Amino acid sequence: MEQLIEQLKAQIIEALNFEDMTPADIDTDAPLFGEGLGLDSIDALELIMLMDREYGIKLADPKAGKAIFQSVRTMAEYIQANRTK
Amino acid sequence: MVHNGQPIAVEATGEKMLVELYRRFAGDYPKFFKMDTLSRLGFIAAEILLKEPIPSDRASRQRIANSQKPTAIILANRSASIKNDTDYMATISDGKYYPSPALFVYTLPNIVTGEIAIRHQMQGETSFYILDKPEDLEPILLSTFHTASADRKNIQPSTSALAGWCECSDANTFYAKIQIIWNN
Amino acid sequence: MVYCIGHSIISPLGEGSHANLEAVQAGRSGLKLYTHRFADVEPFCASLFDTPQDFVPLCIKSVEGAMSSQPSVVSLQSSETIFIVSTTKGDDLDLLTPAKTIAQHFGNPNAPIVVSNACTSGVCAQITAMRLLEAGLYRHAIVVGCDIQSRFIVSGFQSFKALSPEPCKPFSPDRQGLNLGEAAATIVYSQQPIANSQQPLWTLEAGSIHNDANHLSAPSRTGEGAYQCLMDVMGGITADQIALVGVHGTATMYNDAMETIALERAGLQDVPKSVLKPFFGHTMGAAGVVETILCAMQATNRQSSIVQSSIIKMLSGFGGVNAAIRLRV
Repeated sequence: MEQLIEQLKAQIIEALNFEDMTPADIDTDAPLFGEGLGLDSIDALELIMLMDREYGIKLADPKAGKAIFQSVRTMAEYIQANRTK
Repeated sequence: MVHNGQPIAVEATGEKMLVELYRRFAGDYPKFFKMDTLSRLGFIAAEILLKEPIPSDRASRQRIANSQKPTAIILANRSASIKNDTDYMATISDGKYYPSPALFVYTLPNIVTGEIAIRHQMQGETSFYILDKPEDLEPILLSTFHTASADRKNIQPSTSALAGWCECSDANTFYAKIQIIWNN
Repeated sequence: MVYCIGHSIISPLGEGSHANLEAVQAGRSGLKLYTHRFADVEPFCASLFDTPQDFVPLCIKSVEGAMSSQPSVVSLQSSETIFIVSTTKGDDLDLLTPAKTIAQHFGNPNAPIVVSNACTSGVCAQITAMRLLEAGLYRHAIVVGCDIQSRFIVSGFQSFKALSPEPCKPFSPDRQGLNLGEAAATIVYSQQPIANSQQPLWTLEAGSIHNDANHLSAPSRTGEGAYQCLMDVMGGITADQIALVGVHGTATMYNDAMETIALERAGLQDVPKSVLKPFFGHTMGAAGVVETILCAMQATNRQSSIVQSSIIKMLSGFGGVNAAIRLRV
Protein backbone atom coordinates (compact mmCIF):
# COMPACT_ATOMS: atom_id res chain seq x y z
CA MET A 1 0.00 0.00 0.00
CA GLU A 2 2.80 2.43 0.89
CA GLN A 3 4.43 1.76 -2.45
CA LEU A 4 1.14 2.41 -4.24
CA ILE A 5 0.73 5.65 -2.30
CA GLU A 6 4.18 6.89 -3.30
CA GLN A 7 3.62 5.90 -6.92
CA LEU A 8 0.22 7.57 -6.91
CA LYS A 9 1.63 10.83 -5.56
CA ALA A 10 4.19 10.93 -8.37
CA GLN A 11 1.50 10.18 -10.94
CA ILE A 12 -0.76 12.90 -9.57
CA ILE A 13 2.06 15.43 -9.71
CA GLU A 14 2.75 14.56 -13.33
CA ALA A 15 -0.87 14.33 -14.47
CA LEU A 16 -1.89 17.60 -12.86
CA ASN A 17 1.27 19.51 -13.76
CA PHE A 18 2.46 20.33 -10.23
CA GLU A 19 5.84 21.44 -11.49
CA ASP A 20 7.43 22.51 -8.24
CA MET A 21 6.22 19.66 -6.10
CA THR A 22 7.68 16.31 -5.02
CA PRO A 23 5.80 13.35 -3.52
CA ALA A 24 7.19 14.36 -0.10
CA ASP A 25 5.22 17.61 -0.37
CA ILE A 26 1.87 15.83 -0.56
CA ASP A 27 0.22 14.89 2.73
CA THR A 28 -1.33 11.43 2.26
CA ASP A 29 -4.41 12.29 4.31
CA ALA A 30 -4.93 15.92 3.38
CA PRO A 31 -8.01 16.82 1.30
CA LEU A 32 -7.27 16.83 -2.43
CA PHE A 33 -10.09 19.25 -3.22
CA GLY A 34 -11.07 22.41 -1.42
CA GLU A 35 -8.05 23.17 0.77
CA GLY A 36 -5.10 20.81 0.55
CA LEU A 37 -4.04 20.68 -3.09
CA GLY A 38 -7.04 22.78 -4.18
CA LEU A 39 -7.92 20.71 -7.22
CA ASP A 40 -10.75 21.75 -9.52
CA SER A 41 -13.26 20.07 -11.80
CA ILE A 42 -10.84 19.49 -14.67
CA ASP A 43 -8.33 17.95 -12.24
CA ALA A 44 -11.06 15.59 -11.04
CA LEU A 45 -11.71 14.46 -14.60
CA GLU A 46 -7.99 14.03 -15.17
CA LEU A 47 -7.74 11.82 -12.06
CA ILE A 48 -10.60 9.70 -13.42
CA MET A 49 -8.58 9.28 -16.63
CA LEU A 50 -5.46 8.46 -14.59
CA MET A 51 -7.26 5.62 -12.83
CA ASP A 52 -8.35 4.21 -16.17
CA ARG A 53 -4.99 4.57 -17.86
CA GLU A 54 -2.74 3.34 -15.04
CA TYR A 55 -4.98 0.95 -13.14
CA GLY A 56 -7.71 -0.07 -15.58
CA ILE A 57 -10.54 1.36 -13.44
CA LYS A 58 -13.45 2.95 -15.30
CA LEU A 59 -15.53 5.41 -13.35
CA ALA A 60 -18.71 6.24 -15.21
CA ASP A 61 -20.20 8.66 -12.70
CA PRO A 62 -17.95 11.63 -11.83
CA LYS A 63 -19.98 12.25 -8.68
CA ALA A 64 -18.77 8.95 -7.25
CA GLY A 65 -15.30 10.46 -7.53
CA LYS A 66 -15.98 12.79 -4.61
CA ALA A 67 -15.67 10.04 -2.03
CA ILE A 68 -12.81 8.29 -3.82
CA PHE A 69 -10.74 11.44 -4.25
CA GLN A 70 -11.03 12.71 -0.70
CA SER A 71 -7.35 12.13 -0.10
CA VAL A 72 -4.44 10.26 -1.60
CA ARG A 73 -5.07 7.50 0.90
CA THR A 74 -8.76 7.02 -0.02
CA MET A 75 -7.78 7.07 -3.69
CA ALA A 76 -5.06 4.44 -3.09
CA GLU A 77 -7.46 2.24 -1.13
CA TYR A 78 -10.01 2.41 -3.93
CA ILE A 79 -7.36 1.57 -6.51
CA GLN A 80 -6.08 -1.33 -4.42
CA ALA A 81 -9.58 -2.76 -4.22
CA ASN A 82 -10.57 -2.24 -7.87
CA ARG A 83 -7.49 -2.27 -10.05
CA THR A 84 -7.46 -4.49 -13.11
CA LYS A 85 -3.89 -3.60 -14.12
CA MET B 1 12.61 38.38 -26.35
CA VAL B 2 12.21 42.10 -26.80
CA HIS B 3 10.25 44.37 -24.50
CA ASN B 4 9.54 47.89 -25.70
CA GLY B 5 12.44 47.73 -28.08
CA GLN B 6 14.84 46.48 -25.42
CA PRO B 7 16.12 42.94 -25.72
CA ILE B 8 15.79 40.83 -22.60
CA ALA B 9 18.44 38.20 -22.04
CA VAL B 10 17.21 34.69 -21.52
CA GLU B 11 19.30 31.59 -21.03
CA ALA B 12 16.90 28.86 -21.98
CA THR B 13 15.44 28.15 -25.38
CA GLY B 14 12.19 26.64 -26.55
CA GLU B 15 9.53 25.90 -23.99
CA LYS B 16 12.04 26.18 -21.14
CA MET B 17 12.47 29.83 -22.04
CA LEU B 18 8.84 30.41 -21.17
CA VAL B 19 9.35 28.78 -17.77
CA GLU B 20 12.39 30.97 -17.15
CA LEU B 21 10.42 34.08 -18.05
CA TYR B 22 7.56 32.95 -15.84
CA ARG B 23 9.83 32.62 -12.84
CA ARG B 24 11.34 36.01 -13.52
CA PHE B 25 8.23 38.03 -14.22
CA ALA B 26 5.52 36.18 -12.30
CA GLY B 27 6.38 33.16 -10.18
CA ASP B 28 3.22 33.28 -8.11
CA TYR B 29 0.75 31.44 -10.31
CA PRO B 30 1.10 27.62 -10.23
CA LYS B 31 -1.71 27.31 -12.81
CA PHE B 32 0.90 28.43 -15.32
CA PHE B 33 2.15 24.86 -15.39
CA LYS B 34 -1.23 23.53 -16.49
CA MET B 35 -1.25 25.79 -19.53
CA ASP B 36 -0.31 24.70 -23.02
CA THR B 37 2.57 26.45 -24.79
CA LEU B 38 0.35 28.95 -26.61
CA SER B 39 -1.32 30.01 -23.37
CA ARG B 40 2.02 30.26 -21.56
CA LEU B 41 3.31 32.47 -24.36
CA GLY B 42 0.34 34.83 -24.22
CA PHE B 43 0.25 34.76 -20.43
CA ILE B 44 3.88 35.87 -20.11
CA ALA B 45 3.54 38.59 -22.73
CA ALA B 46 0.48 39.96 -20.95
CA GLU B 47 2.17 39.70 -17.56
CA ILE B 48 5.14 41.76 -18.70
CA LEU B 49 3.04 44.35 -20.51
CA LEU B 50 0.67 44.84 -17.63
CA LYS B 51 3.40 45.17 -15.06
CA GLU B 52 6.23 46.91 -16.83
CA PRO B 53 5.19 49.68 -19.17
CA ILE B 54 7.89 51.43 -21.14
CA PRO B 55 9.55 54.09 -18.98
CA SER B 56 9.04 56.88 -21.52
CA ASP B 57 5.34 56.10 -22.06
CA ARG B 58 4.04 58.26 -19.26
CA ALA B 59 0.41 57.79 -20.23
CA SER B 60 0.65 54.01 -19.96
CA ARG B 61 2.68 54.22 -16.78
CA GLN B 62 0.06 56.46 -15.23
CA ARG B 63 -2.82 54.21 -16.23
CA ILE B 64 -1.16 51.05 -15.05
CA ALA B 65 -0.12 52.72 -11.81
CA ASN B 66 -3.81 53.53 -11.36
CA SER B 67 -4.63 49.87 -11.95
CA GLN B 68 -6.41 50.76 -15.14
CA LYS B 69 -6.40 47.75 -17.36
CA PRO B 70 -7.12 47.55 -21.05
CA THR B 71 -10.74 46.71 -21.71
CA ALA B 72 -10.38 43.99 -24.28
CA ILE B 73 -8.05 41.13 -25.14
CA ILE B 74 -7.87 40.56 -28.90
CA LEU B 75 -5.33 38.10 -30.20
CA ALA B 76 -4.73 36.32 -33.48
CA ASN B 77 -2.55 33.72 -35.18
CA ARG B 78 -2.41 31.46 -38.23
CA SER B 79 -2.25 28.02 -36.73
CA ALA B 80 -4.94 28.13 -34.04
CA SER B 81 -4.07 25.61 -31.31
CA ILE B 82 -2.24 23.10 -33.50
CA LYS B 83 0.59 22.37 -31.08
CA ASN B 84 -1.72 21.44 -28.25
CA ASP B 85 -4.11 19.69 -30.65
CA THR B 86 -1.22 17.42 -31.56
CA ASP B 87 -0.46 16.78 -27.89
CA TYR B 88 -4.10 15.94 -27.26
CA MET B 89 -4.16 13.56 -30.25
CA ALA B 90 -1.36 11.58 -28.65
CA THR B 91 -3.76 10.74 -25.83
CA ILE B 92 -6.28 9.24 -28.27
CA SER B 93 -3.88 7.25 -30.39
CA ASP B 94 -4.76 3.79 -31.72
CA GLY B 95 -4.50 1.24 -29.00
CA LYS B 96 -3.90 3.85 -26.33
CA TYR B 97 -7.16 5.71 -26.02
CA TYR B 98 -7.13 7.83 -22.84
CA PRO B 99 -8.42 11.27 -23.83
CA SER B 100 -7.00 13.89 -21.48
CA PRO B 101 -9.49 16.53 -20.32
CA ALA B 102 -6.65 18.78 -19.14
CA LEU B 103 -5.26 18.83 -22.69
CA PHE B 104 -8.64 19.01 -24.41
CA VAL B 105 -9.39 22.30 -22.64
CA TYR B 106 -6.52 23.90 -24.55
CA THR B 107 -7.57 22.67 -27.99
CA LEU B 108 -9.13 26.04 -28.71
CA PRO B 109 -6.94 29.07 -29.47
CA ASN B 110 -9.10 31.53 -27.55
CA ILE B 111 -8.24 29.83 -24.26
CA VAL B 112 -5.12 31.99 -24.03
CA THR B 113 -7.37 35.06 -23.85
CA GLY B 114 -9.32 33.35 -21.06
CA GLU B 115 -6.15 32.67 -19.09
CA ILE B 116 -5.12 36.33 -19.34
CA ALA B 117 -8.63 37.46 -18.40
CA ILE B 118 -8.69 35.23 -15.31
CA ARG B 119 -5.21 36.26 -14.18
CA HIS B 120 -5.92 39.98 -14.48
CA GLN B 121 -9.66 39.88 -13.80
CA MET B 122 -10.54 41.47 -17.11
CA GLN B 123 -14.26 41.11 -17.79
CA GLY B 124 -14.37 42.94 -21.08
CA GLU B 125 -14.27 41.43 -24.52
CA THR B 126 -11.99 38.51 -25.30
CA SER B 127 -11.66 37.50 -28.93
CA PHE B 128 -9.44 35.31 -31.03
CA TYR B 129 -9.00 35.48 -34.79
CA ILE B 130 -7.23 33.19 -37.25
CA LEU B 131 -5.65 35.35 -39.91
CA ASP B 132 -3.19 35.15 -42.75
CA LYS B 133 -0.75 37.68 -41.28
CA PRO B 134 -0.48 40.05 -38.31
CA GLU B 135 -1.37 43.12 -40.38
CA ASP B 136 -4.81 41.64 -41.01
CA LEU B 137 -5.66 42.34 -37.38
CA GLU B 138 -5.50 46.10 -37.93
CA PRO B 139 -8.88 46.60 -39.64
CA ILE B 140 -10.45 44.38 -37.00
CA LEU B 141 -9.00 46.49 -34.17
CA LEU B 142 -9.91 49.71 -35.97
CA SER B 143 -13.52 48.61 -36.30
CA THR B 144 -13.61 47.35 -32.70
CA PHE B 145 -12.80 50.83 -31.46
CA HIS B 146 -15.07 52.53 -33.97
CA THR B 147 -17.73 54.65 -32.36
CA ALA B 148 -20.89 52.69 -31.89
CA SER B 149 -23.83 53.72 -33.99
CA ALA B 150 -26.26 56.20 -32.51
CA ASP B 151 -28.87 53.47 -31.93
CA ARG B 152 -26.73 51.78 -29.43
CA LYS B 153 -27.20 52.99 -25.89
CA ASN B 154 -25.61 51.37 -22.89
CA ILE B 155 -22.78 49.74 -24.74
CA GLN B 156 -19.33 51.03 -23.91
CA PRO B 157 -17.26 50.04 -26.89
CA SER B 158 -13.81 48.84 -25.98
CA THR B 159 -11.50 51.80 -25.76
CA SER B 160 -8.33 49.89 -25.16
CA ALA B 161 -7.02 46.43 -25.84
CA LEU B 162 -4.23 44.02 -25.17
CA ALA B 163 -3.86 43.04 -28.79
CA GLY B 164 -1.58 41.29 -31.18
CA TRP B 165 -0.22 38.09 -32.62
CA CYS B 166 0.31 34.97 -30.55
CA GLU B 167 1.53 32.00 -32.53
CA CYS B 168 2.78 28.57 -31.53
CA SER B 169 3.30 25.81 -34.04
CA ASP B 170 5.41 23.45 -31.92
CA ALA B 171 7.36 23.31 -28.67
CA ASN B 172 10.28 25.27 -30.07
CA THR B 173 8.53 27.49 -32.58
CA PHE B 174 6.48 30.31 -31.17
CA TYR B 175 6.20 34.03 -31.65
CA ALA B 176 4.19 36.72 -29.95
CA LYS B 177 4.00 40.42 -30.65
CA ILE B 178 1.51 42.05 -28.36
CA GLN B 179 0.81 45.64 -27.46
CA ILE B 180 -1.52 47.60 -25.28
CA ILE B 181 -3.51 50.01 -27.40
CA TRP B 182 -5.23 52.88 -25.62
CA ASN B 183 -7.86 54.52 -27.75
CA ASN B 184 -8.67 57.40 -25.43
CA MET C 1 -26.59 48.54 -37.74
CA VAL C 2 -26.26 46.19 -40.69
CA TYR C 3 -28.79 44.40 -42.83
CA CYS C 4 -29.24 40.69 -43.43
CA ILE C 5 -30.09 40.21 -47.08
CA GLY C 6 -29.65 36.47 -47.43
CA HIS C 7 -29.15 33.33 -45.38
CA SER C 8 -29.07 29.55 -45.57
CA ILE C 9 -28.71 26.51 -43.33
CA ILE C 10 -27.56 23.01 -44.26
CA SER C 11 -27.98 20.46 -41.50
CA PRO C 12 -28.97 16.82 -40.99
CA LEU C 13 -32.53 18.18 -40.87
CA GLY C 14 -32.37 19.48 -44.41
CA GLU C 15 -31.03 21.93 -46.93
CA GLY C 16 -32.21 25.51 -46.82
CA SER C 17 -33.35 27.74 -43.98
CA HIS C 18 -37.03 27.04 -44.64
CA ALA C 19 -36.55 23.28 -44.65
CA ASN C 20 -34.82 23.54 -41.29
CA LEU C 21 -37.50 25.82 -39.84
CA GLU C 22 -40.21 23.40 -40.98
CA ALA C 23 -38.39 20.50 -39.36
CA VAL C 24 -38.16 22.36 -36.06
CA GLN C 25 -41.82 23.36 -36.24
CA ALA C 26 -42.77 19.76 -36.97
CA GLY C 27 -40.78 18.62 -33.95
CA ARG C 28 -38.27 16.62 -35.98
CA SER C 29 -34.84 16.23 -34.39
CA GLY C 30 -31.56 15.23 -36.00
CA LEU C 31 -30.36 13.51 -32.80
CA LYS C 32 -29.56 9.80 -33.00
CA LEU C 33 -27.43 7.32 -31.10
CA TYR C 34 -24.10 6.48 -32.80
CA THR C 35 -22.15 3.43 -31.78
CA HIS C 36 -19.64 2.92 -34.58
CA ARG C 37 -19.13 6.27 -36.21
CA PHE C 38 -15.68 6.84 -34.65
CA ALA C 39 -13.19 4.27 -33.38
CA ASP C 40 -12.77 3.80 -29.59
CA VAL C 41 -15.35 6.43 -28.77
CA GLU C 42 -18.18 5.34 -26.46
CA PRO C 43 -21.71 5.41 -27.90
CA PHE C 44 -22.94 8.99 -28.16
CA CYS C 45 -26.11 10.83 -29.16
CA ALA C 46 -25.61 13.50 -31.82
CA SER C 47 -27.05 15.13 -34.93
CA LEU C 48 -24.80 14.14 -37.83
CA PHE C 49 -25.12 14.06 -41.61
CA ASP C 50 -25.99 10.60 -42.91
CA THR C 51 -23.11 10.86 -45.33
CA PRO C 52 -20.01 12.36 -43.69
CA GLN C 53 -19.40 15.79 -45.19
CA ASP C 54 -16.22 17.65 -46.03
CA PHE C 55 -15.78 21.10 -44.55
CA VAL C 56 -14.95 23.16 -47.65
CA PRO C 57 -17.61 21.80 -50.06
CA LEU C 58 -20.24 22.07 -47.33
CA CYS C 59 -19.37 25.72 -46.69
CA ILE C 60 -19.34 26.49 -50.40
CA LYS C 61 -22.80 24.96 -50.78
CA SER C 62 -23.97 27.00 -47.82
CA VAL C 63 -22.69 30.26 -49.30
CA GLU C 64 -24.31 29.43 -52.64
CA GLY C 65 -27.60 28.84 -50.86
CA ALA C 66 -27.46 32.19 -49.09
CA MET C 67 -26.42 34.01 -52.26
CA SER C 68 -29.29 32.51 -54.26
CA SER C 69 -31.74 34.04 -51.83
CA GLN C 70 -30.36 37.59 -51.94
CA PRO C 71 -31.21 40.24 -54.54
CA SER C 72 -28.00 39.99 -56.60
CA VAL C 73 -26.38 43.13 -55.31
CA VAL C 74 -23.46 41.44 -53.67
CA SER C 75 -20.40 40.70 -55.73
CA LEU C 76 -18.34 38.01 -54.09
CA GLN C 77 -15.39 38.99 -56.29
CA SER C 78 -15.39 42.54 -55.03
CA SER C 79 -12.69 43.73 -52.65
CA GLU C 80 -15.51 45.38 -50.75
CA THR C 81 -16.82 41.96 -49.75
CA ILE C 82 -15.21 40.09 -46.85
CA PHE C 83 -15.57 36.43 -45.93
CA ILE C 84 -15.80 35.74 -42.20
CA VAL C 85 -15.68 32.07 -41.22
CA SER C 86 -16.79 30.90 -37.79
CA THR C 87 -15.40 27.53 -36.75
CA THR C 88 -13.77 25.81 -33.78
CA LYS C 89 -11.89 22.94 -35.43
CA GLY C 90 -12.03 23.84 -39.13
CA ASP C 91 -11.02 21.14 -41.59
CA ASP C 92 -8.97 18.57 -39.71
CA LEU C 93 -7.67 21.14 -37.19
CA ASP C 94 -6.65 23.64 -39.89
CA LEU C 95 -8.82 26.73 -39.75
CA LEU C 96 -7.10 29.15 -42.11
CA THR C 97 -6.54 27.06 -45.23
CA PRO C 98 -10.18 26.01 -45.67
CA ALA C 99 -11.31 29.61 -45.14
CA LYS C 100 -8.91 30.77 -47.85
CA THR C 101 -10.06 27.98 -50.17
CA ILE C 102 -13.67 29.03 -49.72
CA ALA C 103 -12.95 32.72 -50.38
CA GLN C 104 -10.78 31.89 -53.38
CA HIS C 105 -13.42 29.55 -54.80
CA PHE C 106 -15.71 32.55 -55.11
CA GLY C 107 -12.95 34.74 -56.51
CA ASN C 108 -12.77 36.99 -53.48
CA PRO C 109 -9.47 38.92 -53.36
CA ASN C 110 -9.37 39.50 -49.59
CA ALA C 111 -7.74 37.28 -47.01
CA PRO C 112 -10.67 35.85 -45.06
CA ILE C 113 -11.13 36.36 -41.34
CA VAL C 114 -11.67 33.30 -39.19
CA VAL C 115 -13.34 33.81 -35.84
CA SER C 116 -12.34 31.14 -33.34
CA ASN C 117 -13.87 32.12 -30.05
CA ALA C 118 -15.07 28.69 -28.92
CA CYS C 119 -18.82 28.12 -29.01
CA THR C 120 -19.58 31.85 -29.23
CA SER C 121 -17.85 32.08 -32.62
CA GLY C 122 -21.03 32.30 -34.69
CA VAL C 123 -22.29 35.31 -32.77
CA CYS C 124 -18.83 36.88 -32.57
CA ALA C 125 -18.44 36.52 -36.33
CA GLN C 126 -21.64 38.51 -36.81
CA ILE C 127 -20.41 41.18 -34.40
CA THR C 128 -17.15 41.34 -36.35
CA ALA C 129 -19.13 41.75 -39.58
CA MET C 130 -21.23 44.52 -38.06
CA ARG C 131 -18.17 46.43 -36.88
CA LEU C 132 -16.29 46.13 -40.17
CA LEU C 133 -19.31 47.26 -42.19
CA GLU C 134 -20.20 50.11 -39.82
CA ALA C 135 -16.62 51.34 -39.93
CA GLY C 136 -16.93 51.51 -43.70
CA LEU C 137 -14.11 49.03 -44.27
CA TYR C 138 -16.31 46.72 -46.37
CA ARG C 139 -19.76 46.89 -47.91
CA HIS C 140 -20.76 43.26 -47.56
CA ALA C 141 -19.80 40.44 -45.23
CA ILE C 142 -20.40 36.75 -45.88
CA VAL C 143 -20.55 35.09 -42.48
CA VAL C 144 -20.16 31.32 -42.75
CA GLY C 145 -20.37 29.10 -39.68
CA CYS C 146 -19.42 25.44 -39.88
CA ASP C 147 -18.08 22.58 -37.81
CA ILE C 148 -17.91 18.89 -38.61
CA GLN C 149 -17.86 16.37 -35.78
CA SER C 150 -14.88 14.09 -35.42
CA ARG C 151 -13.24 11.57 -33.16
CA PHE C 152 -11.12 14.42 -31.85
CA ILE C 153 -14.09 16.48 -30.69
CA VAL C 154 -16.31 13.67 -29.43
CA SER C 155 -13.52 12.03 -27.43
CA GLY C 156 -12.73 15.35 -25.78
CA PHE C 157 -16.29 16.02 -24.72
CA GLN C 158 -16.53 12.48 -23.44
CA SER C 159 -13.41 13.01 -21.34
CA PHE C 160 -15.30 15.95 -19.85
CA LYS C 161 -18.27 13.67 -19.17
CA ALA C 162 -20.33 16.48 -20.67
CA LEU C 163 -22.35 14.39 -23.12
CA SER C 164 -25.85 13.12 -22.54
CA PRO C 165 -26.48 9.53 -23.65
CA GLU C 166 -29.97 10.62 -24.73
CA PRO C 167 -31.41 13.63 -26.55
CA CYS C 168 -30.61 16.66 -24.43
CA LYS C 169 -33.15 18.35 -22.21
CA PRO C 170 -32.13 21.99 -21.75
CA PHE C 171 -33.28 23.60 -18.50
CA SER C 172 -34.86 20.37 -17.29
CA PRO C 173 -34.07 19.31 -13.71
CA ASP C 174 -33.01 15.90 -15.03
CA ARG C 175 -30.81 17.16 -17.84
CA GLN C 176 -27.71 15.05 -18.34
CA GLY C 177 -25.53 17.09 -20.63
CA LEU C 178 -25.18 18.11 -24.22
CA ASN C 179 -25.36 16.46 -27.62
CA LEU C 180 -22.95 17.35 -30.39
CA GLY C 181 -24.05 18.31 -33.89
CA GLU C 182 -22.80 19.48 -37.24
CA ALA C 183 -24.10 22.01 -39.73
CA ALA C 184 -23.14 24.86 -42.03
CA ALA C 185 -24.95 28.18 -42.19
CA THR C 186 -24.36 31.48 -43.94
CA ILE C 187 -25.66 35.01 -43.40
CA VAL C 188 -25.05 37.79 -45.94
CA TYR C 189 -24.79 41.18 -44.25
CA SER C 190 -24.94 44.47 -46.11
CA GLN C 191 -23.79 47.87 -44.95
CA GLN C 192 -26.83 49.52 -46.54
CA PRO C 193 -30.38 48.34 -46.95
CA ILE C 194 -31.13 47.36 -50.50
CA ALA C 195 -33.17 50.00 -52.29
CA ASN C 196 -36.32 48.96 -54.14
CA SER C 197 -36.40 45.48 -52.76
CA GLN C 198 -38.23 43.65 -50.03
CA GLN C 199 -37.51 44.50 -46.42
CA PRO C 200 -34.20 43.24 -45.14
CA LEU C 201 -34.70 39.91 -43.45
CA TRP C 202 -33.50 41.50 -40.25
CA THR C 203 -31.18 44.22 -39.02
CA LEU C 204 -28.34 43.47 -36.65
CA GLU C 205 -28.34 46.34 -34.20
CA ALA C 206 -26.05 45.56 -31.30
CA GLY C 207 -23.53 43.05 -30.09
CA SER C 208 -21.46 42.46 -26.97
CA ILE C 209 -18.76 40.07 -25.82
CA HIS C 210 -17.67 39.64 -22.18
CA ASN C 211 -15.39 37.22 -20.38
CA ASP C 212 -16.38 35.86 -16.95
CA ALA C 213 -12.72 35.93 -15.88
CA ASN C 214 -13.59 32.98 -13.66
CA HIS C 215 -12.79 29.53 -15.10
CA LEU C 216 -11.84 28.08 -18.45
CA SER C 217 -14.52 25.45 -18.76
CA ALA C 218 -17.17 26.27 -16.18
CA PRO C 219 -19.37 29.37 -16.41
CA SER C 220 -19.51 32.02 -13.69
CA ARG C 221 -22.03 30.96 -11.05
CA THR C 222 -23.64 34.40 -11.20
CA GLY C 223 -23.68 34.43 -14.99
CA GLU C 224 -21.59 37.58 -14.89
CA GLY C 225 -20.36 37.73 -18.48
CA ALA C 226 -23.67 36.61 -19.96
CA TYR C 227 -25.52 39.16 -17.85
CA GLN C 228 -23.19 41.97 -18.98
CA CYS C 229 -23.77 41.00 -22.60
CA LEU C 230 -27.54 41.00 -22.14
CA MET C 231 -27.50 44.40 -20.43
CA ASP C 232 -25.34 45.80 -23.22
CA VAL C 233 -27.55 44.64 -26.07
CA MET C 234 -30.75 45.61 -24.28
CA GLY C 235 -29.67 49.22 -24.07
CA GLY C 236 -32.52 51.42 -25.27
CA ILE C 237 -35.22 48.74 -25.23
CA THR C 238 -37.29 46.98 -22.58
CA ALA C 239 -38.11 43.31 -22.05
CA ASP C 240 -41.63 43.70 -23.44
CA GLN C 241 -40.20 44.75 -26.79
CA ILE C 242 -38.36 41.46 -27.10
CA ALA C 243 -40.19 38.75 -29.03
CA LEU C 244 -37.75 35.97 -28.36
CA VAL C 245 -34.44 35.11 -26.69
CA GLY C 246 -32.40 32.48 -28.48
CA VAL C 247 -30.66 30.82 -25.56
CA HIS C 248 -27.49 28.71 -25.57
CA GLY C 249 -29.26 25.92 -23.67
CA THR C 250 -26.65 23.16 -23.91
CA ALA C 251 -28.35 21.13 -21.15
CA THR C 252 -25.24 20.81 -19.01
CA MET C 253 -25.91 21.32 -15.31
CA TYR C 254 -23.84 24.46 -15.07
CA ASN C 255 -24.57 26.20 -18.36
CA ASP C 256 -28.34 26.12 -18.00
CA ALA C 257 -28.19 27.19 -14.34
CA MET C 258 -25.92 30.08 -15.24
CA GLU C 259 -28.03 31.13 -18.19
CA THR C 260 -31.19 31.11 -16.10
CA ILE C 261 -29.53 33.38 -13.56
CA ALA C 262 -28.24 35.76 -16.22
CA LEU C 263 -31.68 35.98 -17.85
CA GLU C 264 -33.35 36.64 -14.49
CA ARG C 265 -30.83 39.32 -13.59
CA ALA C 266 -31.54 41.00 -16.91
CA GLY C 267 -35.31 40.81 -16.42
CA LEU C 268 -35.82 38.44 -19.35
CA GLN C 269 -37.17 35.42 -17.48
CA ASP C 270 -40.66 35.79 -18.97
CA VAL C 271 -39.61 36.35 -22.58
CA PRO C 272 -40.24 33.30 -24.80
CA LYS C 273 -37.07 31.21 -25.31
CA SER C 274 -35.96 29.56 -28.48
CA VAL C 275 -34.20 26.35 -27.47
CA LEU C 276 -32.72 24.69 -30.53
CA LYS C 277 -30.10 22.22 -29.35
CA PRO C 278 -32.63 19.38 -28.95
CA PHE C 279 -33.05 19.63 -32.75
CA PHE C 280 -29.52 20.29 -33.98
CA GLY C 281 -27.28 19.35 -31.11
CA HIS C 282 -24.46 21.74 -30.34
CA THR C 283 -23.05 22.70 -33.72
CA MET C 284 -20.08 24.59 -32.20
CA GLY C 285 -18.81 27.17 -34.74
CA ALA C 286 -22.04 26.91 -36.73
CA ALA C 287 -24.33 27.32 -33.71
CA GLY C 288 -24.36 31.10 -33.58
CA VAL C 289 -25.23 31.35 -37.28
CA VAL C 290 -27.77 28.51 -37.46
CA GLU C 291 -29.56 29.57 -34.31
CA THR C 292 -29.67 33.28 -35.21
CA ILE C 293 -31.30 32.51 -38.56
CA LEU C 294 -33.90 30.25 -36.97
CA CYS C 295 -34.67 32.67 -34.15
CA ALA C 296 -35.23 35.47 -36.65
CA MET C 297 -37.56 33.25 -38.66
CA GLN C 298 -39.39 32.06 -35.56
CA ALA C 299 -39.85 35.61 -34.30
CA THR C 300 -41.10 36.83 -37.66
CA ASN C 301 -43.76 34.13 -37.48
CA ARG C 302 -44.90 34.82 -33.98
CA GLN C 303 -44.79 38.58 -33.66
CA SER C 304 -47.93 39.40 -31.77
CA SER C 305 -47.64 43.13 -32.04
CA ILE C 306 -45.54 45.65 -33.81
CA VAL C 307 -43.90 46.51 -30.49
CA GLN C 308 -42.23 43.13 -30.22
CA SER C 309 -39.76 43.25 -33.00
CA SER C 310 -36.49 42.63 -31.25
CA ILE C 311 -34.80 39.35 -30.59
CA ILE C 312 -31.68 38.49 -28.65
CA LYS C 313 -29.33 35.61 -29.39
CA MET C 314 -26.88 34.60 -26.68
CA LEU C 315 -24.09 32.03 -26.44
CA SER C 316 -21.32 31.04 -24.03
CA GLY C 317 -18.16 29.09 -24.61
CA PHE C 318 -14.94 27.60 -23.30
CA GLY C 319 -12.43 30.17 -22.16
CA GLY C 320 -15.09 31.97 -20.15
CA VAL C 321 -16.40 33.88 -23.13
CA ASN C 322 -20.02 35.04 -23.53
CA ALA C 323 -21.62 36.88 -26.41
CA ALA C 324 -24.99 38.32 -27.36
CA ILE C 325 -26.54 40.16 -30.29
CA ARG C 326 -29.78 42.01 -30.77
CA LEU C 327 -31.69 41.88 -34.04
CA ARG C 328 -34.74 43.68 -35.23
CA VAL C 329 -37.07 41.64 -37.43
